[in-house]
Amino acid sequence: MRVKIALTLYFSKEQNKNTMTAPSSPARLPQGAFRTISTARHDALGLGPGLSLARGRVHEALGNAADMFAVLIASRMSGPIFWIGLQREIETLNPAALQDFLDPARITLIAGVSRAEILWAAEQALRTPAAIIAEIGQGPDLRESRRLQIAAEESGAVGIMLINGRAQTSAAETRWECRQAGENQWAWICMKDKRGGGGAWRVSWEGEDDANGGRQTGAIHLAAATAA
Amino acid sequence: MRTVAGKRVLSIWLPRLPLDRWRRKGDGRLAGAFAIIDEVNNSWRVTHPSDEAIRAGVRMGLTLPDARAICPDLLTEPADAAREDALLRALWRWADVLSPRVALDAPDGLLLDIAGCAHLFGGEEALAVDAIDRLEAVSVAARTGIADSKGAARALARFSSAPVAIAEPGRTGAALAPLPVGALGVQDETASALARAGLKTIGQLYEVKTSELARRFGLSLTGALAAALGQTADPVTPASADPIYAARMTLPDPVGLLSDIEAVLQRLVSSVCGRLEQDRKGARAFTLTVRCVDTGDHHLSAGFARPCFDAKAVLQQFAHPLSKLRIEFGADGFRLAASHVEPVRHRQADIDDRVRENAGVAQLLTTLGNRIGFDHVRAFAARDSHQPDREFDLVEAVDRRSALAWAPAPRKRPLRLFRPPEPLHLLDGGRPPRRFQWRGAIYALSSAKGPERLTPEWWRTEDLRTRDYWTVDTAEGARFWLLTYPGQDEQSWFVAGRFP
Repeated sequence: MRVKIALTLYFSKEQNKNTMTAPSSPARLPQGAFRTISTARHDALGLGPGLSLARGRVHEALGNAADMFAVLIASRMSGPIFWIGLQREIETLNPAALQDFLDPARITLIAGVSRAEILWAAEQALRTPAAIIAEIGQGPDLRESRRLQIAAEESGAVGIMLINGRAQTSAAETRWECRQAGENQWAWICMKDKRGGGGAWRVSWEGEDDANGGRQTGAIHLAAATAA
Repeated sequence: MRTVAGKRVLSIWLPRLPLDRWRRKGDGRLAGAFAIIDEVNNSWRVTHPSDEAIRAGVRMGLTLPDARAICPDLLTEPADAAREDALLRALWRWADVLSPRVALDAPDGLLLDIAGCAHLFGGEEALAVDAIDRLEAVSVAARTGIADSKGAARALARFSSAPVAIAEPGRTGAALAPLPVGALGVQDETASALARAGLKTIGQLYEVKTSELARRFGLSLTGALAAALGQTADPVTPASADPIYAARMTLPDPVGLLSDIEAVLQRLVSSVCGRLEQDRKGARAFTLTVRCVDTGDHHLSAGFARPCFDAKAVLQQFAHPLSKLRIEFGADGFRLAASHVEPVRHRQADIDDRVRENAGVAQLLTTLGNRIGFDHVRAFAARDSHQPDREFDLVEAVDRRSALAWAPAPRKRPLRLFRPPEPLHLLDGGRPPRRFQWRGAIYALSSAKGPERLTPEWWRTEDLRTRDYWTVDTAEGARFWLLTYPGQDEQSWFVAGRFP
């Protein structure tokens, strides 16, 4: 227990100071307390020119269009999608609208009764190579997000935490603020990026009718807004 | 010697099955006057009297007061059809030592197709004697009949005086001739009509023309006769017993440590899963019954998203419920049973990535479902309705069909649908409202499209109001789907959804 607290302190100090100095007394930390995270394990998920999202990582999204951010990311991926949240939140999802962006059959809805259960389910789901979208209210703290991060890095899953409360200091790779800006248009602001490249984008979606008149396949159009 | 061609049927009749059920329990009352009674036509009647009771004058069919008057010492027990059926089914499963094709002949018999089996026992008679001996060893009385047809074998077993009655191949008619007509298994009215006509034995029926018999006594009699004589096909349709995939373990002393219980579970699981794997089957659900010495049986269950025979996976799913189980004074009995057993198709796992991915997803659904409930892990299923809130359904993800067809939506629909719609606070009226407050934020209208008027589905009873939907852009960027019910004096507005 003491070890855990020490680690948390260490990381939060680092975060606050935003420096990269070594800890003052590394000898006191037990061997193997750090996991080496290989950075080039999974290919990044390309969203458009100049914008990509790391796989095997957890990302945070907030704002009134955070769920659309998650939908657009998931539409760029193949394979299953797990949408985790409280019963009353996730049952408002409308597949009739989702089908413009992705196949609703890919989605599995997982209803948790508490934040702890949602986080547990998200951690389990992140061990499969899938898109995991979790509505968790307040942002994950350092410990929670590190657990999610460790679960995701092995499988190459992309985890998107939808936050509608306060974001906390966390181990998430990126944090996005997403606002609606008209019909099928959104403004994405990258508030945090561990790799250092922030920015703001205006995103628009253009649905194209299939030749068969069936499902719409769309393209995301990106335009860099004023750099943050 | 004539070679045996075609079918040979062994009928085993268990005339005292309800009594034997008590005999197997070692009940002492069977030595005296004892009878099984059953409620027939609103009165309790003797159905199976014991030897002593028969000697005292109790016969089958007597009402209980009459039987008591004849034999004041008579002790009785009501019939229990379910338990007798269970005993018969146990014997049915056992009977495949005699022949691979065994059919139930409820309520008190078995039919075995023994063509090609008899020589293994040293002939048909030896087979029948062996069957009777083996049944006697488990305290079940039996009589047997062997013939070319089902009907003849049944008749011989039930109405012949010898415990082993055999009709030689091709001599069915002669063997049946001395038996009473009731042996054909016809209805009581037909039997009494035959008796009135002076036709008492089956042999007498041979003399009468079939058309005459059919005219006077109905087709059921001629049909039964033709089937018994092998003139029409009446095959034994064996329903082989479903194998039970279960294992139990009883310990001499109760155990309480989790590690001990896990060791027991490991043995049970490896036994059950080993048999499942051998038969290329998998189970969708496992139930573990833990018998605690003080609090009785506890049932723990684990479900699986796909048929599973993997011992490790089963153990893993039981780890959590076992850790929740409170055992104070220990448990000494354990039973693991697999249910919803389905065939498993083995797949080549290493070539196709998708197979491995699906397996991972199934494993995840299993883990999630067992912890938070399978009804909380769901998927969308399309439904046929024009009402936006009834266009889809949520079904449990584990029994989702593989492919779902989604009709493209004719209009743009909101990403989030609020059910029920959430009332909004009007700040400035209008149609749609120019300014409103919803979930603590204030929005001002910038443009609106609508109304889209949807009439209710008249065949449903709830909420038969016509609805007007407006697609509303706000100055803040958010886009809503507002709902109002037209034709009301005071317009109330709701947020029905939020657009992407």
